[in-house]
Amino acid sequence: MTPDMIYGLTGIAVFAIGLAGALCAQDRLRRLLALKLCSMGAGFLLVVAAWRVPPDAPDPVPHALVITGIVVVVSATAVALALIRRLQSLETRDDD
Amino acid sequence: MTTDPMTFALFLPLFGAMAVFLLPRASVAIGLASVAATCGAVLFLARDVLAKGEVMTALGGWEAPLGIALRADGLSVTMLSMTCAVGLLVSLGALDSFKGTGQMRTRQYFWPLWLLLLTGMNGVYLGTDIFNLYVMIEVIALAAVGLTVLSGTRAALRAGLEYMYASILGALLFLLGVGFVYLHVGRLDLAGLIEAEPSGALSAALALMVVGLMLKTALFPLHFWLPAAHANATAPASALLSGLVVKAALYIFLRLTMYMPLLDEIMVTSMGVLGACAVLWGGVQALRAERLKLLVAWSTVVQIGLIFIAFAHAGPPGLHESWKVAALLILAHGVAKAAMFMAAGRIRAELGHDIIRDLDRAPVRPTLAQFTFALAAISIIGLPPSLGFIGKWSLLEGAMSSGYWHWVVVTMIGTLLSVAYFSRVFAGFLRFDRMRNPVAEHQGWALADLPPLTLALAAIGLGLVAAPVLSFIELGYPFGAAP
Amino acid sequence: MTDPLVIFDLLLGLSIVALALAVLSVRDLFAAIVLFVIFGLLSALAWVRLSAPDVALAEAAIGTGVTGALLLKTLHHLRYVTGTLDRPEAMNLTPVTPVPMPVLWVNAAFCGLIALGLAVAFLEAPKVGPGFDALVAEAMPASGVDHPVTAVLLNFRAYDTLMEVVVLLAAVIAVWQVERGLSEAPAPHLGEVWQGFARLALPAIVVVGTYLLWVGAEAPGGAFQGGAVLASVGLLLLLSRFYVPQPAHRGIARLAFVLGTGVFSAVALLVSGGGRVAFEYPLEHAKTLILLIEGLVTISIAVTLAALFHGREPVALGEEERRNDT
Repeated sequence: MTPDMIYGLTGIAVFAIGLAGALCAQDRLRRLLALKLCSMGAGFLLVVAAWRVPPDAPDPVPHALVITGIVVVVSATAVALALIRRLQSLETRDDD
Repeated sequence: MTTDPMTFALFLPLFGAMAVFLLPRASVAIGLASVAATCGAVLFLARDVLAKGEVMTALGGWEAPLGIALRADGLSVTMLSMTCAVGLLVSLGALDSFKGTGQMRTRQYFWPLWLLLLTGMNGVYLGTDIFNLYVMIEVIALAAVGLTVLSGTRAALRAGLEYMYASILGALLFLLGVGFVYLHVGRLDLAGLIEAEPSGALSAALALMVVGLMLKTALFPLHFWLPAAHANATAPASALLSGLVVKAALYIFLRLTMYMPLLDEIMVTSMGVLGACAVLWGGVQALRAERLKLLVAWSTVVQIGLIFIAFAHAGPPGLHESWKVAALLILAHGVAKAAMFMAAGRIRAELGHDIIRDLDRAPVRPTLAQFTFALAAISIIGLPPSLGFIGKWSLLEGAMSSGYWHWVVVTMIGTLLSVAYFSRVFAGFLRFDRMRNPVAEHQGWALADLPPLTLALAAIGLGLVAAPVLSFIELGYPFGAAP
Repeated sequence: MTDPLVIFDLLLGLSIVALALAVLSVRDLFAAIVLFVIFGLLSALAWVRLSAPDVALAEAAIGTGVTGALLLKTLHHLRYVTGTLDRPEAMNLTPVTPVPMPVLWVNAAFCGLIALGLAVAFLEAPKVGPGFDALVAEAMPASGVDHPVTAVLLNFRAYDTLMEVVVLLAAVIAVWQVERGLSEAPAPHLGEVWQGFARLALPAIVVVGTYLLWVGAEAPGGAFQGGAVLASVGLLLLLSRFYVPQPAHRGIARLAFVLGTGVFSAVALLVSGGGRVAFEYPLEHAKTLILLIEGLVTISIAVTLAALFHGREPVALGEEERRNDT
């Protein structure tokens, strides 16, 4: 058992949990949380893949990719949240 | 400063997007100028590709795999040209759709989002690095969702949110696939994939990326988000989304399959089967659609399916031909569908509704828009001499000569279905007996009909020059050298 | 030769998976978001363990910190709009039809199978694959910075990073487009104590953010982490109402959003020519140019993240908005 194996499997499990949530969650916020889990799973895999046995010198390229990915996902999350807020406002107003 | 047209094809729309965002009052002038300038850059690039066959720029001077290179060949320039030309005409059409002070805000946000979308799509067509492609599809996704909800109606917002979820999930599946590619191959450039040895990690990577792209391009059964999103957007946005945006993911799919050495009979056939399901299911849904724009959106689902049938129509040995046919159909659909959505938008604007059942009750007949719609439908159904016909004919011919008769049958059924659902619309255009009032005078055309009409004529006319188009697509051997 | 840390790894991995499950299964949305934040922080810890401190910092600051703030703000808005602000027992905000149990099981089985397939593929992949290590090490002297991750982000793969800033720009444009002058939840008000805390904390946060940016050239840190930390200044300013966005400030806000992308792309283009391609910084100026880009990108990221938190475009009521909305 090495850290890369443990965290690699963790990442895959987290991705699969997120996928299940994204497919089945009914609440809009919850679905977004599930998608966030998927993104973390993908991040885990890249960080694990960058890990090398002498642990002080991992491959920096995947690290840069994950940082890029984190910023991209927060952007997408913000847009989705804005849609959720606006939609809820419209729906509530129309129900009255 | 560099004179590399690829760099400019990326930076011009980006600078344009920033400029229109900073100066919203001048958005129309700056926006049109940037799209036109991008067209110019693509023309220069086409000249280079004609001369050299293939052009590459290693950005930052760092060669792949460390750096990211831009690469253009016949296929990418074809996609770029389609994107820019269709984009320019849709932009011109948008001038009319978003005119007036009430539309000020829509206009102000249409331009930056559309120019960012153009940046993203150009980036995809020039990209050679799979992680970079991931970032590009996210640029496209955010801009496209912004365009989807431009009208601000509840239906559009719901569809936009659904589209957003599908987009994020598709992109993340792709990203996980990128992770598996790195795990096994240790590099991210497409060229590095060719030499990779087949392995479980590579199969997982390919599966993840393909499913992610299927979700992005809305291949059955992952098309659930498309009809509502495309039907509820404003007309210019629908034209961009349906004509251009779904093609970006399709293009990545084509490129990926060209570089991934893992395509076997099962995988190719299952792509075709999903395509066939899309053709049949989408056709039935289009027959049942009550609104014109919804019908057009379902026809996009059908056409995506057709492109996947084209991809599979000659099995793995015939992939070289199949890619070509698929590319031809992508081009044909891009041009015709943009024309059709804009024409549908014009009809809706003139009639005040787009309920198919009531098309023949209208006291106003936007004849030129209806004519445009019909011309676009000719290409989409696949009647001669349109580009759609050439694509479909090559598909049928290829399937027959390699003995895959089932693809012939499915394609024919799909064609019949498309004749049937478009006939519903034509009947509404041509019947006058249910009208209560006489047709109002001089409502037949407007200046705003010209951009879609030009596109529709192009969809037909390109069929007449299909041979040079095909030889252009093959410049730089995007599909590998002929066997 | 089992490393004692393996126990730690196993426990951490298991808690991360358990938290992921809990995020999706706990009934209360507020609890789900809090659990998600804990999940994010533990993941960041795991990434530190995998010698990825830059990634861990970015995840803690942006992926968990800013995202958590965005989620909580949205939850607050939804509770306000639906009138369930004082009734935390009203858990589900959007209309929910419960999913039938068999569907849930099929879904779980389906995703479990996918996980199994991916796990097999992962385990049989080469343990130490080829990578970019050697290439990066070779190119480092020509990069202008000393920290490999910064070199990758701002030089070797600068094109990716530019496009990532473009994604942020697209996001803020889309958010401003989506949210208009509708009934908006009043910002959750901070009490007196918090206001005092904010006043004390702000300068410290500014210092930390700037330090992260500066140190990025040699050590973990950089534009994105620094930007996120500075964004928290914006969040505090907004929450404590030290700053209330005004319609008149839209121009300067737009400028701040565009600043990073604009300067980045302008530098990328202007350095080219004379045989050099775009993004090819001349070596003698590489460090200066990279610092310039990083600095301005940091400002853009900070302002953009804060704007994403605030959400709607500050439009004066009674302007064209109201007409369009009805």
